[in-house]
Amino acid sequence: MLLVWLAEAVVFALIVAGILAERPLALAAAGVAIVVAGALLRFVAPLRSALVCAFALHPTAALLGGAALALVLPLALRSSPYWTFVATLALLYVTIGQGLNLQIGTAGVINLAGAAFAGLGGYSVGLLTVGAGWPSWLAVAAAPWVAVAVGALLFVPILKTRGHYLALVTIAFVFIFNILMNNLEFTGGPQGIKNIPTLRLGGYAFTARPTLGVVELPAHANFYYAALATAFLATGILRRLHDSWLGLALNTLRDDEIAARCCGVSIAREKLIAFSIGNFFIGLGGALYAVMVGFVSPPDFDFGYSLIMLSVIIIGGVDSIGGVVLGACLLVPLPERFRFLHEYRLLLYGLVIVVMLLFRPRGLWPAGIRRYR
Amino acid sequence: MPPLELLLQQTLNGVMLGVMYALIAVGFTLFFGVLDVIHFSHGDIFMLGAFVGLSTLLGLAVVGLRTPLLALPPAFAVAVLVTGLVGVGAERVCVKPLARSSPLMTLLATLSLGLVLRESVLIFYPRGADPKPFPQLLPAGGFEVGGVAVRYENLTILAIGFAAMIGVDLVIRRTRMGAAIRAVAQDPEAAQMMGVNLDRTVDATFFLGSGLAAVAGMLSGFYYGEIHFIMGITGGVIGFSAAAIGGLGNVYGAIVGGLLFGVLQTTAAALIPRGSEFRDVVAFAVVMLFLIFKPSGILGEKSVERV
Amino acid sequence: MSLLEVKGLTVRFGGLVALDGVDVALGEGETLGVIGPNGSGKTTLFNTLTGLYAAAAGEVLFLGQRLSGLETHAIARRGIARTFQSSRLCLELSVFDNILIGMHAHRRTGLLDSLLRRDRLRSEMSQAIERAAHLLSLFNPALPRRGLERVGQLPQIDRRRVEICRALASQPRLVLLDEPSAGMSPEETAQLMKDLQIVREEMPGLSVMVIEHDMFVIEGVSQRVVALSYGRKIAEGSFAAVSARDEVREAYLGGEAARA
Repeated sequence: MLLVWLAEAVVFALIVAGILAERPLALAAAGVAIVVAGALLRFVAPLRSALVCAFALHPTAALLGGAALALVLPLALRSSPYWTFVATLALLYVTIGQGLNLQIGTAGVINLAGAAFAGLGGYSVGLLTVGAGWPSWLAVAAAPWVAVAVGALLFVPILKTRGHYLALVTIAFVFIFNILMNNLEFTGGPQGIKNIPTLRLGGYAFTARPTLGVVELPAHANFYYAALATAFLATGILRRLHDSWLGLALNTLRDDEIAARCCGVSIAREKLIAFSIGNFFIGLGGALYAVMVGFVSPPDFDFGYSLIMLSVIIIGGVDSIGGVVLGACLLVPLPERFRFLHEYRLLLYGLVIVVMLLFRPRGLWPAGIRRYR
Repeated sequence: MPPLELLLQQTLNGVMLGVMYALIAVGFTLFFGVLDVIHFSHGDIFMLGAFVGLSTLLGLAVVGLRTPLLALPPAFAVAVLVTGLVGVGAERVCVKPLARSSPLMTLLATLSLGLVLRESVLIFYPRGADPKPFPQLLPAGGFEVGGVAVRYENLTILAIGFAAMIGVDLVIRRTRMGAAIRAVAQDPEAAQMMGVNLDRTVDATFFLGSGLAAVAGMLSGFYYGEIHFIMGITGGVIGFSAAAIGGLGNVYGAIVGGLLFGVLQTTAAALIPRGSEFRDVVAFAVVMLFLIFKPSGILGEKSVERV
Repeated sequence: MSLLEVKGLTVRFGGLVALDGVDVALGEGETLGVIGPNGSGKTTLFNTLTGLYAAAAGEVLFLGQRLSGLETHAIARRGIARTFQSSRLCLELSVFDNILIGMHAHRRTGLLDSLLRRDRLRSEMSQAIERAAHLLSLFNPALPRRGLERVGQLPQIDRRRVEICRALASQPRLVLLDEPSAGMSPEETAQLMKDLQIVREEMPGLSVMVIEHDMFVIEGVSQRVVALSYGRKIAEGSFAAVSARDEVREAYLGGEAARA
């Protein structure tokens, strides 16, 4: 158990060091440390097997340790609101990725309209608060349902088409969404919706900087905790659904629809459940994004973002719950760290995905065998 | 303008666009025919074709070849050749190796490859983020028939487009390689047993399809007067839509689908209020309906599910 | 009353008549062999019974109720399970998962149980896994231990067994076995015949329809045989009687060979 916590602490320290190192020398040191740690893990077999064994033996301890470290991360990042923001974004991608993974990874419903459903969440928050004057928390609670409801428009195509055709339908859906958002009056056209009021609970505004005794946390810390709680909840729910009859039925129909039907699985029912649950979490991610940044506009939700969401799943591991977390926590912050590579960010995304698909198609954290725990 | 003439004019414009879409769609349909895959980076191959063509034209202008008759043939030749080879490279790198795994894998790999191509042009082409003006080498002027304005430039685009399609048709129907492509499309295993070299046939198909996309890219440059690195996204989605409407695997279906999509766009633009903004909404909505109610397309064969 | 009654079943694909007025009846606990040359409509019969193909005419009565118009999954829930000629297992999923899906229709826990009352799901699943292990052990005592491996790692014969277990897991009244010996060596086929005997013994009330090319299997397991040719039923009766009929020999061997 101590070994688990030690390992997690080391990883945490490396991440924080990697993020905060500013001067070239410090950055180089952090980089070297990360590479050394990785190499140790890769090439020292006893260490690796000891760690694997420890994590397998103490899953609860590992989870608790991870949660504790996730809770103190803003403390470690308090000098940098920007990095707190990036970490929050990564957590939103965890929520979105879990939703999308249920659709694409578990059920094989190829949804390339992830950006549109996140956009539906975001725009709903914008319209409900700025347009209809709802309080933000209520709008955030309602927005995912809008994504689910609009997703019902795609029910028929989902049942009637599959594979490449479904991909095309969902791509067409993103394009339609974007053109509409760009041109409709009430969504603000290309400018989008500005001045979305921030989340407020009992008079406490989330933009305030929380203080912990004497220590003041960075500006986005409140959102960080909200996103952390959401990501945690989403991951827990999706993990439980994955290890249940639903996950089993979805995996079976993904691999062989005819076999699933002959076993009494209603393809329509299961697919639509998966699609709707997925859209809920994608919409939720979009809604939280909208209250965090305070505005939404069409380019925030274009087809390119569908591809980024997709790469989270591919990099992590298709159908792998843990993989989504890993994928989001790698894919979102890494390009920000290498700002000098920022221009090449999408190019690198593309290359990494191609290489992954060719050489490691199951991702960094491949989906395991279902054990119904 | 009276409605009928407006409609005729829009149909003519639609056919213009449709020819370009059809050229892209033929590629999609050919690839699907031989390998049963959708090559999602094909739209960016189309964009690449336009940029290669532009660079060649600019290069030719530097050495003094500015007249259309001297500049156009080599420009088209270079664009087709280079783009065709890139297409073959794309196939070798990320289509063929994944052909046996699930369709999701090819889909993702080619989508990502498209991203790579797009970003490469953005980053490595000089000032790649800006729209690039395309040299206007096609004849200017025009005439009017019954209230419909016809421009020589557009006629030339139509002529080149149809010539390219006829050329492809001849290649597929009259040459040995064409016969091999048809054989592989029907039954890859049987074709191989009959002595068809599968790898070479697939290469040839991708060369052919990507070359056509290059032609479409250049025509698009002449039509719009400029090209942009993101043109491949819409180009690819529309080309795929056209191929799907026509029936994947059927070359004539792709042509019909392309023309239909073009006409659909322009008539929608003319008929609905604020049509120029919402025309693509209509066009894509029609594509979605098509895929739902006639998934095998206009000319596609209905595939019977094997149990 | 017989368990299954097929009356005048006709199936067309465009101009092709795949099944032409076929009548078949099957009693409880009976094993019926279906034979006929390639393309005679055997698998089409199975696909129509399970609702994958729509019948152009005729009707299917199962437990006295009409099946026509029901969707495949609804038919499966009424108690018809099947295997496929070329295996349709999910190779990426575990052995247990492949069998558990057969019990999906009988599940007692829903989405909310999976989320909030996890212990209920867990206890249901551990029972289900126990049952799956029991089914596997009927055929091969070593298989339950491999329950958490991916099916793709099993040899061909064990995969076929897993598929049969999946069909049995749904507690069906009728099992359709589509050429279980396809792609097997003679030794494996002999194994398989033993397996089918075990099924007969363990589940005496279960009715079985089995398509086979291997006449030894048909002879060994079926009480009655139906022969199809070009979508028509050309003979019915005991194996000895059916295999002695001229029409059957002709259908299998072609006209000249039968006359010679």
